[in-house]
Amino acid sequence: MRAKLTDEQERIQETAEDFLESNGGIEFARREMEGEDVVDEVWSEISDLDYPAVTVPIDHGGLGEGMVYLSALLEATGRYAMPGPLPETAAVGAPLIAELGDEEQKDEYLPAVADGDCRLSLAAYNDRNESLPAAVGADGEVADDGSVTISGTKTLVPYADAVGEVLVATRTREAGGYDGVTLCLVDPESEGVSVEALDSLDRTRPLYDLELDLTVPPERVLGPAHGGGSALERAADRFTVASCAMLVGAADRAVDMSAEYTTERTQYGQPIGKFQAVKHRTADMWIDMQSARSLTYYAAWALDADDPDATRAVSAAKSYAADRLHRVFGDDMWNHGGTGFTWDHDAHIYLKQAKAWRNFLGTPEEHRDRLIEARLSE
Amino acid sequence: MDFEYTSEQEQFREELQAWLEENLPDGWTEGDRDVPDDQDEREQFLRDWQARLYEGNWAGLHWPSEYGGRDASLLKQTVYREETAKYHTPQQINAIGINFVGPTLMELGTDEQKERYLPNMLNGEEVWCQGYSEPGAGSDIASLTTRAERDGDEFRINGQKIWTSYAHYADWCFLVTRTDDSGLKHEGITTILVDMDQEGVSTSPIHQASDEEGFNQMYFDDAVAPAENVVGEVDEGWDVVMTLSSFEHGTTRIFSIEQRYKDILEYCKNNTRNGQPLVQDPVVRQELADLDSRIQAAKVSHLRNVSKQMETGMPGPEGSMDLVVADELANDLENFAVNILGPEAALWEDGPEDGQWVRDYLQTYGSWIAAGTGDIQRNIIGERVLGMPKDDKSQTSHREES
Repeated sequence: MRAKLTDEQERIQETAEDFLESNGGIEFARREMEGEDVVDEVWSEISDLDYPAVTVPIDHGGLGEGMVYLSALLEATGRYAMPGPLPETAAVGAPLIAELGDEEQKDEYLPAVADGDCRLSLAAYNDRNESLPAAVGADGEVADDGSVTISGTKTLVPYADAVGEVLVATRTREAGGYDGVTLCLVDPESEGVSVEALDSLDRTRPLYDLELDLTVPPERVLGPAHGGGSALERAADRFTVASCAMLVGAADRAVDMSAEYTTERTQYGQPIGKFQAVKHRTADMWIDMQSARSLTYYAAWALDADDPDATRAVSAAKSYAADRLHRVFGDDMWNHGGTGFTWDHDAHIYLKQAKAWRNFLGTPEEHRDRLIEARLSE
Repeated sequence: MDFEYTSEQEQFREELQAWLEENLPDGWTEGDRDVPDDQDEREQFLRDWQARLYEGNWAGLHWPSEYGGRDASLLKQTVYREETAKYHTPQQINAIGINFVGPTLMELGTDEQKERYLPNMLNGEEVWCQGYSEPGAGSDIASLTTRAERDGDEFRINGQKIWTSYAHYADWCFLVTRTDDSGLKHEGITTILVDMDQEGVSTSPIHQASDEEGFNQMYFDDAVAPAENVVGEVDEGWDVVMTLSSFEHGTTRIFSIEQRYKDILEYCKNNTRNGQPLVQDPVVRQELADLDSRIQAAKVSHLRNVSKQMETGMPGPEGSMDLVVADELANDLENFAVNILGPEAALWEDGPEDGQWVRDYLQTYGSWIAAGTGDIQRNIIGERVLGMPKDDKSQTSHREES
């Protein structure tokens, strides 16, 4: 029992914070938000720091680390809402290729991911109002030669125009839940693919429609036909924990900003942080942030250890973080008064991130239901 | 990050389990957990249990071996908390002595005090209480007015204390008194060990909202204590108070809350509403899951504090979070438990477990106040963890300012 990051994990957090702070902290996120595409710039810097390599297995040129290490890193990058598909690449894509890929696929993609030459994303939704796995549309067909023909529109695809490959989930066999799903690697710039930007609530992490009308050759089909669902579910769990980690980092900064501002800002002849209404609200923000951090670490550990408690742990982290951290960002706005509601104050960046992520890959309500189901099957 | 216990710690758990199976009162492990209602019988029952724990070498887990303890690591103490929660073991009647007064004496007491008082704490021969709150000094404990006046080799004590747990059983009191009121309120405080068995000390029970009498008023009317019973320096007792409260911050009840949650989950599996099991009710599921995740969060936060404390040595102000979260969880959990009873929620002694569910629910309203209210804990977090400005009136010590 050691409920603590290792020294190395703490060091990578410091390095990541130093890197971002020397680049203006939140500036990358603000530039992306204003419509500039900063992903190439960010990626070239973080590739030098080996961040995309974190979850790539060692024998394919990566660091071979798991979700705890990645969460520690994402906490630090999340503190400044660093743009770029790092969670998509490191929590979803690379582990999926490592898990399901054959040797040729692993050799082709994983070293490229580790070197920073190939970013990854995930396309799983055909329906913007439906939840996974029901949202995975039956728009694919597996031919006898193993190729998969996909004809349909995927939506809510993060960073689709800034990645080398999108892992596309398509339902190739009518079955319930995650059964009957096939995963394919699709280059968004290839023939038969068109990418359309959506105006997203969180403009630091843009979403896209992906119109697909193509035949994916067998060498780009990942894992068994119709049998990619359970790996997709685990990948969704990893993405969920990765997102929790980013938001915990953001919440940590929101608490810092609130504590600092309410110590400096004077009204009625005293710092407003002296008023218990303000002090207690801020203390509650800190408690909620620490609680979300605890759940995130535990879920990350449970995924790495393949612990039987992993499903419950992930769903606890998501349902708690989605509701409570959203409130933390809202409270940070309140603590800053009128300033808190301005474009210039950073709280809205985090608030929108939390809201945009709330229902992605499972609503808190669905995760609570899943948590109880896992409890009952203990 | 590692949430697995070592095989040595697991072995310790098995040893404890085996001992509990063997030594808990007959029928206890099967769910027949009757503690006598009669005060005298209850006291005897609890003293016997304390003595039995001592004989098994379980009473002073965290105490150094030179004082008869076991030198157990914080993690073994955590294993102990997990298991005693699972077995719903009876409370330790001398919890105040063993957890707070003993460790304080080890740190600040004289050699004579250690030799005189420590040996009889673990076996429950001498039960302790803490004389802190007064009618006019609750959260603002430093405004206390119970006087101790020097009279030759003795101190003569006059005043009133309130909300004192275990006072009706206690043989000794760790009493916080005022010896000088000429300076700031945190100055002129003296902590002194007072024999409860004397004419000048009397107690009267307080009838609580839960219809129980767990704590008391204590009256000191020319009570005496020898000067050698002063802990630390005369007039410098605030430091002693702070030392003791740091031990309070190291404790948690999250494991018994988790056990209670599991019992409630079982109830929801085995009982129906409108013909279907409660666990199939979508609203009940959402509420259970919310409690589940909050308990998990509190547990891991506690373990993170423990892991940190293993490196730093002392519990930090982060312990305030354990208290706030556990108190609110216990309240929400017991409220939920009574709510899911359906119309039976209207019954008390004729409700489940002879009224225990209702008593537990009512009790949580007292826990919120005990050991520092949630409001005070939030002040501590705001001021000591987040560095926010102190309220002029809540400054805990003028020494911190210098």
